Amino acid sequence: MASDIEAGSKYIPEMSKKEIEELRSSIRAASIKVIKENTERMKKTWPNRPETMEYFDEISNFFGQREKEIREQKEAGKKVIGYSCMFAPVELILAADAIPVRIGSGWYDAAKLGDRIMPVEVCPVIRSTVGAKMVNLSPYLELSDAIINPLTCDGRTKLSEILSDYKPILPMCPPRVKDDPQSLSLWTEEMQVIKKKIEEVTERKINRKRLRSSIKVMQRATKAFRRLQDLRKGPPVIMGRDAMLVNQTSMWDDIGRWTEKTEALCDELERRVNEKKWACPPDTPRVMVTGTPMMWPDSWKVPNLIEESTPQGVMVADELCSGDRILYDPVGVDEWTMSDMFNAVSERYLMASTCPCFTSEHGNEDRINWLMDRIKENKVDGVIYYVVRGCILYAMEYARVKRVLDRMGLPVYYLDTEYTREDVGQMKTRVEAFLEMLEARIDI
Amino acid sequence: MTLMDKKEGKGEYWRWLEYRSIMPGRDWRNAEVITAGVDVGSVGSKAVIMADGEIYSWSVMRTGSNSSDSAKKALGWAMEGTGLKLNNFNYIVGTGYGRVNVPMANRAITEIACHAKGANYIWGPTVRTVLDVGGQDVKAIRCDERGKVVSFLMNDKCAAGTGRGMEVIADLLQIPIADVGKVSLSVNEEPEPVSSTCVVFAKTEAVGLLRKGWSKDKVLAAYLRAMAIRMSELIEKVGCERDFVITGGQSKNIGIVHRVENILGMKRLPVPSLEETGLDPMAAGAMGAALFAKALHERSMKR
Repeated sequence: MASDIEAGSKYIPEMSKKEIEELRSSIRAASIKVIKENTERMKKTWPNRPETMEYFDEISNFFGQREKEIREQKEAGKKVIGYSCMFAPVELILAADAIPVRIGSGWYDAAKLGDRIMPVEVCPVIRSTVGAKMVNLSPYLELSDAIINPLTCDGRTKLSEILSDYKPILPMCPPRVKDDPQSLSLWTEEMQVIKKKIEEVTERKINRKRLRSSIKVMQRATKAFRRLQDLRKGPPVIMGRDAMLVNQTSMWDDIGRWTEKTEALCDELERRVNEKKWACPPDTPRVMVTGTPMMWPDSWKVPNLIEESTPQGVMVADELCSGDRILYDPVGVDEWTMSDMFNAVSERYLMASTCPCFTSEHGNEDRINWLMDRIKENKVDGVIYYVVRGCILYAMEYARVKRVLDRMGLPVYYLDTEYTREDVGQMKTRVEAFLEMLEARIDI
Repeated sequence: MTLMDKKEGKGEYWRWLEYRSIMPGRDWRNAEVITAGVDVGSVGSKAVIMADGEIYSWSVMRTGSNSSDSAKKALGWAMEGTGLKLNNFNYIVGTGYGRVNVPMANRAITEIACHAKGANYIWGPTVRTVLDVGGQDVKAIRCDERGKVVSFLMNDKCAAGTGRGMEVIADLLQIPIADVGKVSLSVNEEPEPVSSTCVVFAKTEAVGLLRKGWSKDKVLAAYLRAMAIRMSELIEKVGCERDFVITGGQSKNIGIVHRVENILGMKRLPVPSLEETGLDPMAAGAMGAALFAKALHERSMKR
């Protein structure tokens, strides 16, 4: 809400209703096209793609069934709480009987729109979110009654102010140092505040019973999520893009239903493991992606290149807050008391995070450990370090990550890009050359 | 001596020489495996025909507006007068920016892998670092003794320091492109480099320097120095290990070569005589592609 100093004035300049409507409908149409195209491309790459994937295709449509469903539930009295980042405690949102939806923006056209008012130095994820707001493009952002916005980087910090012109913003400050004695207690206090704010927005008390049941719901989701990631450790039974799509839809789907559908997918994939029915040849180079989040649908650019390239690659793991990190870590509760449960939620969101916003003497150790574990467990052949311009924290962590990977003898390639389709040709050369390098073990 | 055909430019300063040759004393009819590599770059299209893994003929041409036509023309010119027909080829590999638009190719491989392989063919197994300066990309490539890529870096999507940038500056200063390197080295003292590494801005800056009364050679030196610094940064980032070589069109630009050598404190391996060996570093990518074609053909035979 605007302050007294500038009462009534908004960060985003006013646009005419007509202009907003025209831009919104053209970007929306383009986005629907991209969603369709991406789905078709995934189907083409994986000819025997299981039917169980179709559910996720449907949910992946930002302008489809799921939007309608949330709208209906909202009309029936439910609250929607959006969140911009994985530090937001989904368990608390669910415990207040609200619908959690992630609102991070992957729209390239919206980033272009954001350029009108954002400085070029700002990362495109933020520019795109602002652009989407300019024309009310994002259904989930628009449907949100409030938005939890963890202030993990400078872009997000200022995003809070911009979005506060339209929605109640509930900021959260994660401590930048994870392992100091006071870090967890500071964060738990932050959690207490956010709990109260969620209760205010939803007019619902988060009590022991509700929190317990929402933790259980999320634990089941985590179990299904992990089951899927474990299936990626062996020969490729699922393409990386498809796994990434399943992972991402968990951020806006009904989580109970998502869990069922993911379990069903895993059942099918396990059958295929027994039949040795692979999604691509088992000797396909195994790639891991790490860095800036890759948001559906436009930021499928690099995953598309990897899995459609000649030679082909398959993404068997990632270290992305838009991917394998989403639900990987369960909330570990010892005793189902209110304070124990609450502390467990708080701890999970701080300690399990490998976000580059953290710093320590030895760098972001948790992130490096995550990478090393996944590289070994998922038998990764090479790592693509993905950074969009302006994403300073990920860009700066590269040097240290590279040193560690060099020591492991694992090829890593720094792929920097923008929210644009113009560089696809050059990106293709980079990705293909990297995969050729990985493939070179097949001696030619 | 090779039989060398040249097509002269039409007087525009940026226009560089197109050429082709057939290696004497070799007959493709005696060969078991005939392969070709077609490298369609953004500025130049190169074709190399190999008979049993040895260069038989080759051509270097400008790329037209259509990649597929350029590929056909380049290969067609390399085939001209040889009696070779397309169905004589066992395998063809396309590479370069237009690699997916090489209609006769059996497979596409990136120019990064091909330049490393080509450099290994030209200079032998001691090559560890390849700087490929093409029409619109600069690539620093590290490779092993077999010419396999170990790591690489590529410039941003921008023409600074590339062949296209040189064409622009040659045109601006009205100096024939082939003389750009020589002229830039004729200055008594190396000037400060231009501050912009963007071709468009550098061009503006060059115009400003000319207005200030700078001589053409001094402006050229300032431009080439800026580009050489940029290339050297890329090499240093990937890590420069001996032996070091330069491929791509700019391997012919001594103004760039000397400056890069000075900045790195390392000499490149000398370029073999084109007339005697037919080994043109500008066509290294096409050579690598033709070699990959041979390997791929042999692999397909084993299956």
